[in-house]
Amino acid sequence: MKSFAPEEIIVEAGSEQSPIFRNLKQAFPQIPFTFTDEPQALPVSRDPFGASKRRLFLMRHRGEFLKKCPGSDGQVCCNYFVINFASNCSMDCSYCYLQEYLADNPALKVFSNVDNLLTEADEMLGRHRKVFFRIGTGEITDSLALDPYIGFCAEVVPFFATQPNVLLELKTKSDCVESLLRLDPKERVVVAWSMNPQKVIDADERFTATFEERLAAARRCQAAGYKLGFHFDPMVEYDGWEADYRDMVERLFAAVDYRRIAWISMGVLRTTPGLKRAMRSRFPASRLPTGEQVLCPDGKMRYFQPLRVNMYRKMLGWIRAASPTVFVYLCMESKEVWEQVFGFAPSCEKELGKAMVPVA
Amino acid sequence: MNEADRESLLVVVEALKVGENHFKDLLDWLEEISLRDGMVVAEILQRDQIARITSDPRLGRNDKLKRLKDELHRLRFPRLARIEEEINRRVRDMKLKPQLLLTVPAGLEGGAVTVQMKASSYEELKRLAAELARVVDEKDMQEIFALLRGEVSA
Repeated sequence: MKSFAPEEIIVEAGSEQSPIFRNLKQAFPQIPFTFTDEPQALPVSRDPFGASKRRLFLMRHRGEFLKKCPGSDGQVCCNYFVINFASNCSMDCSYCYLQEYLADNPALKVFSNVDNLLTEADEMLGRHRKVFFRIGTGEITDSLALDPYIGFCAEVVPFFATQPNVLLELKTKSDCVESLLRLDPKERVVVAWSMNPQKVIDADERFTATFEERLAAARRCQAAGYKLGFHFDPMVEYDGWEADYRDMVERLFAAVDYRRIAWISMGVLRTTPGLKRAMRSRFPASRLPTGEQVLCPDGKMRYFQPLRVNMYRKMLGWIRAASPTVFVYLCMESKEVWEQVFGFAPSCEKELGKAMVPVA
Repeated sequence: MNEADRESLLVVVEALKVGENHFKDLLDWLEEISLRDGMVVAEILQRDQIARITSDPRLGRNDKLKRLKDELHRLRFPRLARIEEEINRRVRDMKLKPQLLLTVPAGLEGGAVTVQMKASSYEELKRLAAELARVVDEKDMQEIFALLRGEVSA
């Protein structure tokens, strides 16, 4: 995996006391740090979104850290909460929705006030001890790709590991697990990988870890006591996808202990008309926009339903052949698709969320 | 898109007086077909089935635009178009009365069949209900659902 090297680090006044700042100074002694209240607008560039990824802005987060995952209108939701400790990502996948969602952001933001995050989480978890929470940090950034430089996990994993009513999910396409191996997750942390065949990684997941690197990192986390998660998302349809995805599933289950897998999700490639324009502009050689995707009622484009249902059924069959009992769910799919794939649909989001709790 | 492509597209757009929304569809589909099939836009527009539509003197501007979009949609979404056509063929084969309408959603999203009945008397409604009961058991109807569920490919 390619290491991250920002061209510039901007620090908002007041963030110099944070452990994240100290870690950044240590990780990037050669990179200039500038101190300001507001980053300057980026110089005009042919690829402002790409340029923003090379410019790290350490700042305080205003507002709440913990939010309910927005899911997608009308789709079955898994009752998930998200913590945004950073905004944007050092990696650069051609299909990434942040290209549209954060199109005008001038920098990769990392939030310095981790103490506020922990206080907020402590209050919420303490106030609702009878509710079991699943919280993830990989919604608008990669959970681990920046960890060697900012040391976020060392700040938060010890706290979540001692909470009785939460599972923290760290979702990544990296192999940056070194700091996790020195921590004790106490069965409260799931390290999850977004998985795709190497062909898709090579074509559309720039600066991410290879399939083998992700698998090796998963094995190391398993040995260190972490639960594992795998997200076959986004699944991409192309000539020969069946052989590649089947091989991927078989290699995965040969490498890790299925009893340590907390959950597996499946979701096909999702775009929007705006995202497709960004993809064609930033990644003109990517063939992803040429799939037979149609506009769905939630405003997202997916492979047309019979095609993607067929993909899900095949994937589910390969997963079940390797492990009949592992928990599998669909991400951002309608009840109709759930019924066609699994023969049932969760009656409400709490039902799906609860179904994932017994693994805790 | 290169200069020759832009010129080819401009000829079509001017001739058919294509509005903004239709233009966006045409542009997206042409660029994506071009990327997928490794051919330039001018070549796509010169394909027989396209050129025949744009040069047909019997067709008015609106008909030409509709047929052009249908044809490009078929080229852009070949498997979806095949399934839609297979479903339509089965509906036609059922030879339903015109008051009994059986449709599937655009893009097949939702996977449901919509049945509409239009009756102007109780007797007519009974006849249509009996007609529907007859076709429900037909193989065509079961195949329509199998196509919608992705259980068979067209």
